[in-house]
Amino acid sequence: MLDLVPDVDDRLTWVRDDEGLVAWGTAVRIEPGRGPERFVRAEAELRRLARTAEVEDVVRQAGSGLIGVGSFTFDADADGSVLVVPRVVIGRRDGRTWRTDITPDDADPVAEPASWPPRPRRQDRPRYAGSSLPDLHWLDAVATAIERIHDGALEKLVLARDHALWSREPFDALDLARRLTARFPRCHTFVVEGLVGATPELLLAREGRSVRSRVLAGTTGRSDDEVEDAALGADLLASEKDLAEHRYAAESVREVLATRCADLAGAPGPRLLRLDNVQHLATTFEGHLDDPTTSSLEVVAALHPTAAVGGTPRGAALELIRELEGMDRGRYAAPVGWTDASGDGEWGIALRCAELSGARARLFAGVGVVDGSLPEAELEETRLKLLAMQAALGASPRDG
Amino acid sequence: MSRSTDGDEPTVDDTDGGASGATSPDPTLDAPDAALAAAAADDEDAPYDLSGLLVATGTTRSLLEALERAGLLVPHHVDDEGIPRYSAADVAAVQAGLTLLDAGLPLGELLDLARRTDAAIGEIADHAVEAFLRFVRDPVRGTASSDEEATARLVTAYEEMLPATERLVAHHLRRRLLTRAASRVSEELAADDDGLGPPP
Repeated sequence: MLDLVPDVDDRLTWVRDDEGLVAWGTAVRIEPGRGPERFVRAEAELRRLARTAEVEDVVRQAGSGLIGVGSFTFDADADGSVLVVPRVVIGRRDGRTWRTDITPDDADPVAEPASWPPRPRRQDRPRYAGSSLPDLHWLDAVATAIERIHDGALEKLVLARDHALWSREPFDALDLARRLTARFPRCHTFVVEGLVGATPELLLAREGRSVRSRVLAGTTGRSDDEVEDAALGADLLASEKDLAEHRYAAESVREVLATRCADLAGAPGPRLLRLDNVQHLATTFEGHLDDPTTSSLEVVAALHPTAAVGGTPRGAALELIRELEGMDRGRYAAPVGWTDASGDGEWGIALRCAELSGARARLFAGVGVVDGSLPEAELEETRLKLLAMQAALGASPRDG
Repeated sequence: MSRSTDGDEPTVDDTDGGASGATSPDPTLDAPDAALAAAAADDEDAPYDLSGLLVATGTTRSLLEALERAGLLVPHHVDDEGIPRYSAADVAAVQAGLTLLDAGLPLGELLDLARRTDAAIGEIADHAVEAFLRFVRDPVRGTASSDEEATARLVTAYEEMLPATERLVAHHLRRRLLTRAASRVSEELAADDDGLGPPP
């Protein structure tokens, strides 16, 4: 699907297993501003547009008709949340493909889908340019978090760090999206205004009254050796530290969904989800909304930030993240996805992602800290995650 | 003597220090091997515990604890009370690491390099010791006419060989580093001279 996107600036994607949405052009750009209400403000504006628009939707699928593709800031007090109503959307679901054109009055013509695969671009390698918080201070931050957790101030905290990169040629969002799709076919690959990533975490999917959420927390590596790979997975499923980390994340989602879905179902314990370079503990929840008017973004607003990206309890965790992390997360670790005016939508958490801006990029990686965590092990986990993302962006430093 | 295991006050053990508090002669060794073992014990003073090392190096406790847990900060010895002791050479080694961090090397990369170095050096050390025992000690033990002669020859050989080995390894590492650096820099210069734009 990514090859259908023409070479224009404002491209949007939400694709998994070659299904989902690709879009381009901007019919309306909704900036909901700051605050915890930014999600519902964005949605209210989309609904207002839908009421005034002439909509002809013969496909009647979740994702057809007037939609917005967006991403929100992690921090409620930060600027940068956006919901874009594109000019052209190509959707594909269960093998069925459709096209939606959204045309404002007096709009200029918009680019047609690309009819041939893109020519390879000249690409310089990504080069390291530093971090918001030097590693040494980040190690101290993790040690402080472990102390506070040990003293009972909180149970779990997710700490993230970033890598700034530069290149002598602009980074190309679609190019990165293609590499991520090839490498992580089971993840949703997203492109929203420079934010590009592949997320295995499904924060919320709503179709009518049905909702689904997949929580990931607790991670280990993979091995080329099948037996060793299975042993790594078995160790993860038996690891008290990782099970505790996962339990906090799953409970934070269960609590929100259980108050909205009387029939909420979820396995009592996590199972393994194996990706290209890591394996995660995963729990999936499914249910039906008691109130059919509850929209995907209303639930997302209540879920964010889950303990998989914030911590437990949420308030204390957010306070400590502000105190210790030494950076603005921007749209990292925050909801990214799409919604239509009826409230259906799919939202993931922007993990395993890069914020691209011309020839500069910012990569992010985070870890869950619980009692028993070791600062140097958490530092190493983020280092490996950052190297994996840097490798996806181009040749890694060690590849030359 | 002042000693503390808590807090950030400098703690320096000003008794005789060294390895004497931790090691005692192995009664199973005969005289020449006992003399060799004594010579091989690092005779430098080890006046610092972890808090003392913290103050002497000016770094953070979390870094030193991380290095210690990772096996990258090996104590000179553990004293009678079970407290790891560190020497001035340990202070210098930590400060060398801090110099690399100050120059911009991220800590994660430094730790990764340190783990690789530890693994490589550990293997080389095993081979070097094995070679010494098989090809220096055993012939001496087999040809010396008395224990006294064996002791003298072994201790002399050891005292000459250790600094020679250190010089050899340091020299080879330096030569390897410089050669590799020169070749990488020229490779990158060639790759960069391709008409792409300047840094943004």
